[in-house]
Amino acid sequence: MSALLHIRSLRKSFGERRLLDIADLNLDAGRIYALTGDNGSGKSTLLRIIAGLEPADELNMRFDALTLNGAAYPDALRRDIIYVHQHPYLFHSGIAANIEYGLKLRGVDKAARDAITAEAIDWAGLSSVMSVQPKRLSGGERQQVALARAKVLNPRLLLVDEPTANLDRAAREQIVALLRQTASDNNCVVVACHDREIIDLPGVHKLHLEEGRVTGG
Amino acid sequence: MTTSLNARFFSVALRLATLGMLAGVQANAVELRLATTTSTEASGLLGAILPRFEKTTGIKVRVISVGTGQALKLGERGDVDVVMVHSRPDEDKFMAQGYGSVRRDVMYNDFIIVGPASDAADIKGLNDVSTALQRIARKQTRFVSRGDDSGTHKKELALWRAAGIAPKGNWYVQAGQGMGEVLAMAGNMRAYTLSDRGTFLAYRGRVGLEVIVSQVPGLFNPYGIMPVNPAKHPHVRHDAALKFTDWIVSPAGQNAIRSLKVDGQSLFTPGVPPTD
Amino acid sequence: MELSSAIAESFRLLFSFDAQLWTIIGVSLKVSLAALLFATPFAVALGFFLATVPFRGRRACVIVLQSFLSFPTVVVGLVLYVLLARSGPFGAWELLYTQEAMIIGQAIIAFPVLAAFTLTAVQGADRIVRETALSLGATKLRAALTTLFEVRFAVMAGLFNGFGRVISEVGCAMMVGGNIAGLTRSIPTAISLETAKGEFAQGIALGMVLIVLALGINAALNYFQGEGGMK
Repeated sequence: MSALLHIRSLRKSFGERRLLDIADLNLDAGRIYALTGDNGSGKSTLLRIIAGLEPADELNMRFDALTLNGAAYPDALRRDIIYVHQHPYLFHSGIAANIEYGLKLRGVDKAARDAITAEAIDWAGLSSVMSVQPKRLSGGERQQVALARAKVLNPRLLLVDEPTANLDRAAREQIVALLRQTASDNNCVVVACHDREIIDLPGVHKLHLEEGRVTGG
Repeated sequence: MTTSLNARFFSVALRLATLGMLAGVQANAVELRLATTTSTEASGLLGAILPRFEKTTGIKVRVISVGTGQALKLGERGDVDVVMVHSRPDEDKFMAQGYGSVRRDVMYNDFIIVGPASDAADIKGLNDVSTALQRIARKQTRFVSRGDDSGTHKKELALWRAAGIAPKGNWYVQAGQGMGEVLAMAGNMRAYTLSDRGTFLAYRGRVGLEVIVSQVPGLFNPYGIMPVNPAKHPHVRHDAALKFTDWIVSPAGQNAIRSLKVDGQSLFTPGVPPTD
Repeated sequence: MELSSAIAESFRLLFSFDAQLWTIIGVSLKVSLAALLFATPFAVALGFFLATVPFRGRRACVIVLQSFLSFPTVVVGLVLYVLLARSGPFGAWELLYTQEAMIIGQAIIAFPVLAAFTLTAVQGADRIVRETALSLGATKLRAALTTLFEVRFAVMAGLFNGFGRVISEVGCAMMVGGNIAGLTRSIPTAISLETAKGEFAQGIALGMVLIVLALGINAALNYFQGEGGMK
């Protein structure tokens, strides 16, 4: 089986310092990866480059059937690859509006949107906080909304940045459970974290970033 | 003209600041406060004659140049020591109400009807103001009115009344601004307006208007001076005000007035106008 | 001065629906709102552009824009006057001393306020607002609109600020409008005139109308912000 994402080379420097220098990295569909590494090792930058939110100095990769070699990051690729920030931003307009934001962009009609959104609210355990303004949600709840908002779009590759940092135990467990359910045969999830609860889950593949290179997989 | 428009707005702010300062001035202050109309200051008259008075007497004159209405109000409230304006009915009322201690005739200038050279209402050279205004009204040629309750505005309204016309309609533009601005407006609109000669001479080169009707009965404009009555406002500098009043009607003052010339023409004539 | 009697008189004028007074209020509102309507799309677009698109000389543009905030309105009036005067390049349009001229002038005056507020609002918005939208599949244009929508209350504050500036400005309105009764006489030019006439009561009445308008606008702004939630 060929990899969903195959990175042939990815380089990124900040001034004199070479942050990322990856020669070969494969991510397969149907897998969850835990990406570990020290603070400042470049985990976020790697994920953001893959998601097309930050430019690399050199990027040669193939995603599914699409090859990217030095060209501008195509908008179409962002439909398949979604990045979730460590502290997700929620739009002011309400929880449901956040969840259906991407669906609207993809032209899903209202009836279908409502059904998918309702299902996602259930899935993420958000029913009890629906009347709360997004800015008043707790860190864990914000992360739940952000995961639901991404999951409804069925991304082929979901990149999640430190989702359980600064959360209490109960919230962490909930997020971990959601992440497990997000992975399927068809897609791939990469979670950047230090969290043993995620790293040690059965079936989680370990990636380690150190001195710009990724090992494991 | 543009710079003086600019200066006018600046001077409004200055004036307000001055008013605020005056409130704090003590009765024994060394300055004499004179409220007068913009025409006397804008024409350069005060700048020409006041130094002579100050040199002779050592009294410094602070000038607050505003509209006739506001100048009289400042006098009524005792915010100034002496008032010099040009609206005889208002001056008589000021005296009758006891706000002034004495009234003296100072000088006069004359009003002129100015307009574009094309003279659409065909009134050039008429020797009767009423006929001229009637023609303007009949042809509905544009006429810009000061519309600001100034002495010039009151004069204009009196002229319309005398002509038996209540001006109204799109052709009659009520500007609500000073003489310089109104001359600029009339120039841009190719309209007629009533102006004092001094301001017009100062603006003539820039507004593209010329004298259409002048030196005819009804167009003379006498100025009077009135010290504020100390019986009403004990704190006013009545002595200094009287000194200034006496000086301006004395031969020295009258000569000073006559000496102010633009293009060889005196802007103001000392004394009282020929009967009109 | 007799402030209390002037205030009493101003109330009388306001509530006797003095026709002249209400005409003046109408001219002010019409001109100011039209100017904002005219300036807002361009100003918001410029502010957004400056906040999001890096290019050489952007810093200089921002500095110029911000210094225009303290540009005296009378200078705007002066420049416009020179352009629109009969002898000026656009004299043939005969726009001087019309409401249109006032609208143009006030649009120019409001423009930097609107653009600067938008600039600050968009810059103040977290980078992740745009990134979130992009990552969820928005095009760059759509992500820009989403960002703008997220900071709409800050942009609206600029709108109200701009309104406050134009409704109360006298320099430009006086020069290019001409303070013509019933046509281009606005609240501030009328106050200026009434003061020159010594009619303080009428002036204060108009001043109070300005204050009431300002209060109403700020109350409305606060209400909307309360609804949508300030950051």
